[in-house]
Amino acid sequence: MSVDDVVKSSWADEVEEVEGGNLPPTVEKSDGNSKTITEYSLNEDGKKVKVTSHYRIEKHRVARTIAERKTWRKYGLSKNDKPGPNPATTITAEDVFMHFLSNKEEEQNEQEDIKKKLIDSQKGQVKCRLCKEDHWTKQCPYKDKLEPLRSSLLGEEKAEEEPPQPGGGPPVDKSKIGGGTQGKYVPPSMRDGGSKKGESMMSARGRDETATVRVTNLSENTREQDLQDLFRPFGDISRIFLAKDKNTGQSKGFAFINFKRREDAAKAIQVLNGYGYDHLILSVEWAK
Amino acid sequence: MKPLMLQGHERSITKILFNREGDLLFSASKDPKPNVWYSINGERLGTYDGHSGAVWSIDIKWDSSLFITGSADQTMRIWDVETGSSLANLEMKTSVRGVNFSYSGTMIAYTTDKMMGHNSELSIVDVREPNNVDATPIMKTQVTPSNAKALSVLWGPLDEYVVTGHEDGCIIKWDMRTGKKMEVGQEHTKQIKDMQLSHDGMMLITASKDSTARLWDLATLEPLKVYKTDRPVNSAAVSPLVDTYPHVVLGGGQEAMDVTTTSSRIGKFDARFFHLVFEDEFARVKGHFGPINSISFHPNGRGYASGGEDGYVRVHVFDDAYYQFKFDF
Repeated sequence: MSVDDVVKSSWADEVEEVEGGNLPPTVEKSDGNSKTITEYSLNEDGKKVKVTSHYRIEKHRVARTIAERKTWRKYGLSKNDKPGPNPATTITAEDVFMHFLSNKEEEQNEQEDIKKKLIDSQKGQVKCRLCKEDHWTKQCPYKDKLEPLRSSLLGEEKAEEEPPQPGGGPPVDKSKIGGGTQGKYVPPSMRDGGSKKGESMMSARGRDETATVRVTNLSENTREQDLQDLFRPFGDISRIFLAKDKNTGQSKGFAFINFKRREDAAKAIQVLNGYGYDHLILSVEWAK
Repeated sequence: MKPLMLQGHERSITKILFNREGDLLFSASKDPKPNVWYSINGERLGTYDGHSGAVWSIDIKWDSSLFITGSADQTMRIWDVETGSSLANLEMKTSVRGVNFSYSGTMIAYTTDKMMGHNSELSIVDVREPNNVDATPIMKTQVTPSNAKALSVLWGPLDEYVVTGHEDGCIIKWDMRTGKKMEVGQEHTKQIKDMQLSHDGMMLITASKDSTARLWDLATLEPLKVYKTDRPVNSAAVSPLVDTYPHVVLGGGQEAMDVTTTSSRIGKFDARFFHLVFEDEFARVKGHFGPINSISFHPNGRGYASGGEDGYVRVHVFDDAYYQFKFDF
């Protein structure tokens, strides 16, 4: 049980040994250009603490004046410091990396172009139920304001309307934001011109996409990820809306899946309708 | 890169400075003890005991023998760098905001604050005999009331003139002999927080609260470049390697305290690197837990140090990524 033996078999042995209250001496190992100092001390809780510091010894050729300065004696608060950096004042911080932002502008331009293209291609597909205009219904009564602006501020307005698109967030928040951007909070019953019976069961957000399927008879602990895994094999999904109970977070039993392509949606219906998932038989059909 | 974090101050850092050869790093903070460190390994050489108020600005003579500090306790002190003892203590009427050694090290220019009925002044003292400094300035001009108070001061490269940065954002060049204004540069809209010369003394970079840093030609005070950011710039420096790595670094930030749940091991405040000529930001380095108050390149251009509101000084040495980065234009 030699205390000087630094290479220990297990920490349990080490702890037992020192129970007596005496700390092992500081061990200093230096080989060539690196030095390892292992110090033992008691921390605030009276527990033995082993501090291992690694130092790299470097040799630099410097100008004479610089070398002279290195030999000066320390003063002030460092008067009693030993040679070498004092760990109380000098710490090697975590690695940080330079975060390069090359071609930032070009990237931004590209993104904007892509967005523009997306928006333009989607122009025909999106139709508000109430005014038949080019936007989502839930924000309709207030969307009129954007209509005249649209012709003059094409790009910017499209960027504003972008959020309703493949975002995949809970529709409740989105519609509130939509209402919020107009400056007033709109309660759910008043949205979409007030034709709903509370939070709709029949349609998720008034989305008029032909590639949407409604799946019902889901078990209560189904999550979006499960739906993603279940429907992903049929094609790209643009968003998933799973009706959840706000308080418990459990599934209310139905969901809407928006596929990017209609044929994928058709396939999904074909295959999964009547499919046994968890302990229930799923019902998958077109969202009306 | 693995920066060294130097923890010698109890309050926020006001200024950091490398000596001419780059082996020493001086740091001043709002606590009354400036520190000096070896920049190679972060080992502290010592602290200077004597001031009783925040140390606003510091400077080091070209041969690293004398160190001067201007403090809020209305004194300017001259210290011996080797022993840490105070050689001279000059008392002023108001707090000293900016101090600067002339290129030859024979004179010190300093600016004082506008307080309690006293004007902000720019004065120059002769320090050829540091032990026996004559406190009466060889030149003194009243900065206020005709201009905003002067906060920082720099000597021109041939000791012919002095440039001061003011609270309203203008920089003024004063003739050293007559004390008269030679030129005025009015481009910044808010207070100038820091001014630094380029390594060759031809250009001046000013950092201002109006979220920009500007590069000026020192001889004519002609504005050359603007570096724009989205938060107040507290300090800016030009890389000494102007030919191969023409970069400028800006430090600043006084955002609302929304530094919330990001990793608490490294802070969110960053130093931003801009291309000197194209004025484009190309890199950021995070690390500080508070706004960066002072930033400076190492004289060999291979690293930089920054001092922040969090009281830490971080010394960085660039790794290969910095040298290999090619700015696309």
